[in-house]
Amino acid sequence: MKKFFSLILFSLLTFYFLLFTVIGCAKKDDVIKLGVAGPMTGDQAKMGMDFRNGAELAVIEWNEKGGVLGKKIAMVVSDDQHDPKQAVSVANKMVNEGTVGVIGHFNSSCSIPASEVYNRAGIPMITPASTNPQLTERGFDNIFRVCGRDDQQGAVAADFVINRLRLKKIAILHDKTTYGQGLANEFKKALGNKVGVVHYGGIIQGDKDFKAVLTLVKEKKPELIFFGGIYPEAGLLVKQAKELGIKAPFMSGDGVIDPKFIEIAGPSAEGTYLTFSPDPVKIPTAKVFLDSYHKKYGDHGPYSIYAYDAANIMLTAIKDVKSTEGKKITEKLHTLEFKGALGTIKFDKKGDVTVVPYVIWITKGGKFEEYK
Amino acid sequence: MFLQQLINGLTLGAVYALIALGYTMVYGILQLINFAHGEVYMLGAYLGIIILGFLTSIGFTAISLPLAIIITLVISMIFCSAYGMTIEKIAYKPLRNAPRLSPLISAIGVSIFLQNFVMLSQGATDRVFPPLLNAEGLTFLNARITYLQIFILIASVLMMVGLHLFIMKTKLGKAMRATAQDRKMASLLGIDIDQVISITFIIGSGLAAAAGVMVAMYYGLVNYFIGYVAGIKAFTAAVLGGIGSIPGAMLGGIILGLMEALGASYISSEYKDAFAFGLLIIILILKPEGLLGRRVGDRS
Repeated sequence: MKKFFSLILFSLLTFYFLLFTVIGCAKKDDVIKLGVAGPMTGDQAKMGMDFRNGAELAVIEWNEKGGVLGKKIAMVVSDDQHDPKQAVSVANKMVNEGTVGVIGHFNSSCSIPASEVYNRAGIPMITPASTNPQLTERGFDNIFRVCGRDDQQGAVAADFVINRLRLKKIAILHDKTTYGQGLANEFKKALGNKVGVVHYGGIIQGDKDFKAVLTLVKEKKPELIFFGGIYPEAGLLVKQAKELGIKAPFMSGDGVIDPKFIEIAGPSAEGTYLTFSPDPVKIPTAKVFLDSYHKKYGDHGPYSIYAYDAANIMLTAIKDVKSTEGKKITEKLHTLEFKGALGTIKFDKKGDVTVVPYVIWITKGGKFEEYK
Repeated sequence: MFLQQLINGLTLGAVYALIALGYTMVYGILQLINFAHGEVYMLGAYLGIIILGFLTSIGFTAISLPLAIIITLVISMIFCSAYGMTIEKIAYKPLRNAPRLSPLISAIGVSIFLQNFVMLSQGATDRVFPPLLNAEGLTFLNARITYLQIFILIASVLMMVGLHLFIMKTKLGKAMRATAQDRKMASLLGIDIDQVISITFIIGSGLAAAAGVMVAMYYGLVNYFIGYVAGIKAFTAAVLGGIGSIPGAMLGGIILGLMEALGASYISSEYKDAFAFGLLIIILILKPEGLLGRRVGDRS
């Protein structure tokens, strides 16, 4: 119990400390405000914090070098609770606060409605993680992403299933969100008629019991179960499938590649295939970033490096055009060739990155690693 | 497949029933819908993680896992009973003679307070229950039941039978039934109403805590928000069976669990929650007092 109370006390203190730092930052006017938005609380908070930390590291580095345009950079962190409604109100709030650019959001279902707010306000937005194709397909010139797209991701996954695993019967589940269902659809589309889809259906995000739908899937004897969604549900699905005696492996996308997934699923996570970009540990340019990140925050999350690069690109563009005007920054972003931690990043006309190497990962020995 | 869904549904239903009992008992005696009840269940789940984590750290779980689980269950139930009793004393007792809406608002306040209390003290992220009985179980007739499911079913049935015997056979149980029938008359006959109400909250909260610990073990995932959905489902179960009726809450819970499992598999997994609440609407139209509830006049 003593531990319990000291935890309470500690959390309360940290909370107040955070509260005051936020208030302290907001008071200053002679700063350049960079917005960071994502799920900072709730079941996906881990992703949001990875994100925030990555962007913060970039901001700290810039501030150490004297900031940008002679001013210090202040981060405005907003919590969208992976709720589309909340994302829109958070977006409006950040526009009103006068942020010059936004790094975020995490979930496609949040990024898409929020991007309309930023588009109207003319503020450039770079998402480190939203992969739904629709985000950059609507002719908004100020919306960018440093990650890949689900049609690319789905195609890589489908190719792996058809040509490497050579499977014939597959079940597909998704969490009915823009990202999850989008990825599942792209995957299904890419499978074509080479593979039989024996089950295709949704689950409820936030639910804890998936045994009913898994029992149904088990009856149809698929050789692999593909899940479009995020790690809390994926962890429970994989675990409960094992409990029901389902032997078919799972496969999922970039929303699942988080240590929390293995923590939730336990040993059942073994052998789960995932599509994600190559391991940053193996990218030579990422070494400096990873070292300073580990020193400051501990282990890096899958999207920390993307948030870091996104923030750096945004700040570089501001520095290059010597202005905080959204229109000028946007124009610069379209032509900028940025050498960041991930390698060289260049945006195409739509705002997507020009090179996206998706590779297959596997869960092995309680860790994620690239599949060979 | 039907057998498997039956097992899934029964496990879920047993848990709903345990939580529903707390709602129905409190309603039976105070005509109060205790909206903080779901939060007591959530506290039970968190206490389960803390206590079991502690037992693991001193190496107790390695000696005897079943004993460790039972100790966790008992300690969590004791703590939550204390929580339940305290909530009643602080938030409901001063309002006992106030209009019926006041304690209801107070209950919602307690619920919000407890959610935020846990969020601030334990963090907003998911907590993972240490995996214990991973996926081990029995297979028969193509259906699979894990040891944990067997444990949940047996423990729930034992608790429900125990509660039934307590209410039907003991003097305190008789006092509870008398208080539920007519509070003023019972007090005139020398029953200590305050004590009966305290005991109601203690038992209800204890059962919710047990459900919390078992669910935390079953799914392995706990956050500060689980009390909300579980509370609503259990409340539905209580209304389904007839709020105020103890066998009704048990039946309602089981029916709700089965409906969800069977609906999700035979109709659509995307509308799992819709079946549960749809059933509630149908029952309320056809039999407003619930399956086993009795039609009573307005007592207030």
